[in-house]
Amino acid sequence: MITLTIDGKQVEAKEGMTVLEAAKASGIHIPTLCHHPSLTPYGGCRLCLVEIEGARTLQPSCTMPAGNGMVIKTNTETVRTTRKFVLDMIFSERNHFCPYCEVSGGDCELQKSAYEQGMTHWSFQPNWIPFEVDASHPYIIMDQNRCILCRRCVRACAELVGNSTLGFEERGAKSQLIADLAVPLGESSCISCGTCVQVCPTGSLIDRWSAYRGLEKDVESHPTICVGCSIGCNIDVQTRNNSIVRIYGDWDGGVNGGVICKVGRFYPMTDQRERITSPMMRVDGQLKKVSWEEALEAIAKKLQPLAGKDGDGMAAVASTRLSTESLHLFKNIFKDGLKSSMVTTTEQGVNTSIFSKVAEQLGKPFEAKLDDVEKADLFIVVGADIVNEHEVIGFFVKRARLENSALYLVDQSTNSLENLADGVLRAESYGEIAKGIKAAMVKLGLAEDPSIQPDALLAEAVKATEISDEVFMKAAYAFASAQQPAIIMGSSVSEMQCIKEWVSLSEMIKGSMVTLKGGANSLAAAQYNLDTALKVNGHQAAFIALGDEDPTEKFNALFEKVSFLAVQATYVSRLSARADVVLPVQNWAEQNGHYLNSDGRLQESIAAITGPAYAWSNQQVLESLAKKLGVEAKSDWNAELHNRQAMVTIQ
Amino acid sequence: MVAQKITIEPVTRIEGHAKITIRMKDDGNVDHAYLHINEFRGFEKFCEGRMVFEMPMITPRICGICPVSHHLAAAKAGDDLLSCPPPRPASLLRELMHMGQIIQSHGMHFFELAGPDLLLGFDADPAIRNVVGLIQTAPDIAVKAVQLRKFGQDIIFRLGGRRVHPVFAIPGGVNKALDTANRDAILAGIDDALATTQLGIQIIRDWAEKNMEDIQKFGVFPTGYLGLVTPNNSLELYDGDIRLVDKDGKQLEKFDGRNYLDYIAEHVESWSYLKFPYYKKMGYPQGVYRVGPLGRLNAVDQIDTPLANEEFKRYRAINNGAPIENTLYFHYARLIETLFAVEKVKVLLEDEDIMSTDILNTRQTNKGEGVGIIEAPRGTLFHHYKADANGKLTKVNLIVATGNNNWAMCEAVDSVAKTYINGNEIREGLLNRVEAAVRAHDPCLSCSTHAVGQMPMVVEIVDQQGNLMQSLSRNVNE
Amino acid sequence: MTKPKISSDWMAGCSGCHMSLLDIDERIIKVAELADIRATPITDLKEPDEDGVAVGILEGGVNNTANEEQAHRMRSRCKILVALGDCAVFGGVPAMRNYFTLEESLRRAYIETESTDSEGKIPDDPELCVPTRVRALHEVVPVDLFVPGCPPDPDVIFYVLSELAQGRMPEIKEDMLHWH
Repeated sequence: MITLTIDGKQVEAKEGMTVLEAAKASGIHIPTLCHHPSLTPYGGCRLCLVEIEGARTLQPSCTMPAGNGMVIKTNTETVRTTRKFVLDMIFSERNHFCPYCEVSGGDCELQKSAYEQGMTHWSFQPNWIPFEVDASHPYIIMDQNRCILCRRCVRACAELVGNSTLGFEERGAKSQLIADLAVPLGESSCISCGTCVQVCPTGSLIDRWSAYRGLEKDVESHPTICVGCSIGCNIDVQTRNNSIVRIYGDWDGGVNGGVICKVGRFYPMTDQRERITSPMMRVDGQLKKVSWEEALEAIAKKLQPLAGKDGDGMAAVASTRLSTESLHLFKNIFKDGLKSSMVTTTEQGVNTSIFSKVAEQLGKPFEAKLDDVEKADLFIVVGADIVNEHEVIGFFVKRARLENSALYLVDQSTNSLENLADGVLRAESYGEIAKGIKAAMVKLGLAEDPSIQPDALLAEAVKATEISDEVFMKAAYAFASAQQPAIIMGSSVSEMQCIKEWVSLSEMIKGSMVTLKGGANSLAAAQYNLDTALKVNGHQAAFIALGDEDPTEKFNALFEKVSFLAVQATYVSRLSARADVVLPVQNWAEQNGHYLNSDGRLQESIAAITGPAYAWSNQQVLESLAKKLGVEAKSDWNAELHNRQAMVTIQ
Repeated sequence: MVAQKITIEPVTRIEGHAKITIRMKDDGNVDHAYLHINEFRGFEKFCEGRMVFEMPMITPRICGICPVSHHLAAAKAGDDLLSCPPPRPASLLRELMHMGQIIQSHGMHFFELAGPDLLLGFDADPAIRNVVGLIQTAPDIAVKAVQLRKFGQDIIFRLGGRRVHPVFAIPGGVNKALDTANRDAILAGIDDALATTQLGIQIIRDWAEKNMEDIQKFGVFPTGYLGLVTPNNSLELYDGDIRLVDKDGKQLEKFDGRNYLDYIAEHVESWSYLKFPYYKKMGYPQGVYRVGPLGRLNAVDQIDTPLANEEFKRYRAINNGAPIENTLYFHYARLIETLFAVEKVKVLLEDEDIMSTDILNTRQTNKGEGVGIIEAPRGTLFHHYKADANGKLTKVNLIVATGNNNWAMCEAVDSVAKTYINGNEIREGLLNRVEAAVRAHDPCLSCSTHAVGQMPMVVEIVDQQGNLMQSLSRNVNE
Repeated sequence: MTKPKISSDWMAGCSGCHMSLLDIDERIIKVAELADIRATPITDLKEPDEDGVAVGILEGGVNNTANEEQAHRMRSRCKILVALGDCAVFGGVPAMRNYFTLEESLRRAYIETESTDSEGKIPDDPELCVPTRVRALHEVVPVDLFVPGCPPDPDVIFYVLSELAQGRMPEIKEDMLHWH
């Protein structure tokens, strides 16, 4: 701990803190603009300048390390005058038209800074040279006229997301924010995560779908969970008059620390799917509106006689976007109650079942937590695409590059991250690759394993994979020298033995291994044994608890020959159009429920809006159906999550 | 010695900047009077490159008296361009805000801008012939006038968060629903608003009775008349088709406003920054038409709220059912519309859809071009945008309300000047009458030129050699 | 004691600031009690008193030769000059015209617009003023008090008027300084 004096007050601070952090920790406010708690300090805006005894000029407190014995003054006449001057300079640089700006009136940090300093006007007029608005992107509008060159967006794009699309060109007064090598944002390498919009202090980067719909003071904040994939990012859904205005990443979120991807941030804003607005039943070939009572009755009547039948009975499929409560009740009804032998999810266990079996065989969890992956200095991505799915894990991997982490790809085909990889190991058999690396490690004396014959094993691996032993040895060095290696494995790895090889390699390098899983409740589904492949062969009836998922054509085709199809869904689809009974349900934002994320964290998704009156929650539908069927609904969904050995420690 | 040219600068108690020059003949009578609108800002150019969805926030800065008209017309143009018609509750809410504006704007004009002429007289001392003078001589009326304006402004505030330049309408709908507290607060003010409006109607009717001679000779001339109408040709201020009738009230056209370019063109004169819209088929100036209260009430067959309709029938009976041509009757027509707007507020608030939260349609398909039309207090307002595939504006065309009345205002000024002015004797009161010809139209010259201005009022009388003979200024201390 | 004289005028603005002034509603009576309201756009006096007023208020930026005259005249005839609203304070929305040349703006309005007929031309009668680059009021004359906002809050305007009317210089800060 060190001691310094700020404004005459003795203040204690930790070594390594900046003056700004030390001041904040003791309740002293220093205004800032380019500073952001989740980004590395930049010191560009100069608004945080303070007097430091002995220093020749004012110093930026956001980058100045706090020193023992420093004497700092944050509120002298000089400092106050300088702050106004800094803001004057900033306003004079570009074209700031507060009157019609989307963030004016409470969401503009520049405007608030000026008011805080008591500024009623600028001293210097801008030269009114216009900048073009870049509206090429489907979600993000870039208006250079409002940019204050704080570079928060550049830092966020690099440090939080690892994409480094945004940068600057030119110098001095000509400095300008650009995407890639100055191409329109909509044609750039931007992945539409929107983190830049969330950190932008002015109206320079805005989201066109939220514009003018409500400032922060107008909206209601709803902390909840994204159900776009199994990562379960913490988000803040902001609403006004029961409508979603914008979605932000929660900076305090334990899973994602504030970053989210386009699936969580923007897709809900542009979702134009048509809703199912009433329970319906097929009458004389046409779907007709009926009451809930009639619809549920019709389903019960059809399903009851099929209870206990095998191949010619009923199939039941649920979406992994359903909550744990609903998945559990679904299992109660169809597996435990009606004793169907074909009860699974839309994922059909492809992302989890083999990994669950490995864990069961090993008798213990073999996966680590996402936090461990986040801190890794070497990422080994095996059979996974973390650019187009589970994007936030991709952010962890890509941004760690700035800390000089290494990246190895193990893939059968081309992987989107290849241009960033230090090494690529490409072969059909992932298991052989693992064996090759293990062999090389033992051969090079980097690890010990008496059960391995290194030369023989290495030669076998080289033959099987056609990867040279030099490459294997190079990889072995890289893996061994990493302090905190992480292995990220995707669902294309489907052989038990192969997976076990990787688990063993992971142990050898003392690494953290995670598998991606799939949808939001993929792991919960696995824990409830809802992870079998879907085979519809002669089944007379099928019940699909689809929720707000979009069914694929391949999935729909599976039910072509089923004579009675009941679908519980939010949106109209080819599947619902084909169904005999349709039950309208709420979407993810309209209902509550728990989700077990990919590393075993149990989180609650809380409704942000009230759904339309015609839609029930998934839970309500299943409860009513259970009642009709005379099935007892068991409520120990949480306990049952622990009934099976999981691949990761479950909360 | 006879004056060559009389200049009146500025015209006061109007919104915007206007200047009048009166050219004299050798015999001392008026040769021609010109109304020069003397400012230009250029919204049609500098909005290029901004986003379509920003226009509801940028264009209200054309005018601070009727910003809501621009706000809504811009949102409607956005609805059209992005093919996202608002859900019914959103349209009701927008119309409610619009009625608030009609009430505050018309109310303010009658009582505070035109009122001093009517209540204190055209020839009253200029020092008191204004709203402050009204406060001093007729405090009851003045307070009621302030409250009527406040009622209208309050509606705008409750919906859009501010009285001037609210943030409410966006393409596809609006951003905030109405809650019961706000609805009830507005309903509570209706009775007083009706009473004050009726008071105004009584004032204008009494005044008309006493000043019939002036009314008959003050700027009376034929033109066409244009405004939005409902399907059965009732008064409509928010949405509808455009109806154009001829000087006898016979319908010439009824069309979807989005096709306005097929029917309306604008003429430019070198002596005014305000253009002159006219009906293309009849050419310029035969095809000129009037808008705003006088124009609208000549273009419709009835009003579908009871009190206003009753007054409307009384009003149209003045000329036995034929259109009313007298410029001074703008003031009467204006109050009838105010009555309609107050009644309409109640109708809207009693429609249960207006409480719904289904207020925004986000399904957008960019068509590249859109037109939004509304009846601003002063007349038909056209916003026409063209945008690229990303929603950035490439072209903006605006025909703004008062502009449609440009020819009529010039005609009225010319006519009144010729009626009341003889070059040998110029009284301040007669200058005021010439200004009153402009004032009756309640022009919004900021709007119409997408510009604003204001100038001092000096009347200079010069002889043929250009020597200054006489100088009259309105309350400029010598 | 004679009441201080207040005069106002509007230039390249939209009149919204004066409307916000009227939004002080019944408090206008109080202002009329404290001050002598002279020439304004809504009273019939045409110029600020030649022998001077205590307070001159100008709304709108300076975008033509007529505005320049107005600005100079008001400055020379008042003790305290107030820039009312964003247009006067920095140029406001109309300052976007500076992005283009005057020629481009005039051509668009009077020749190129879709509804202008084939006889479009740029008005140039000597009776008309000439457009210029858009400027904030303080670029043309020294300003004593800046009241920002588009428009400024009526409560702020009332505060400013009543302070000035009582001989005090208002300080717009803290609660008074906000976007409303």
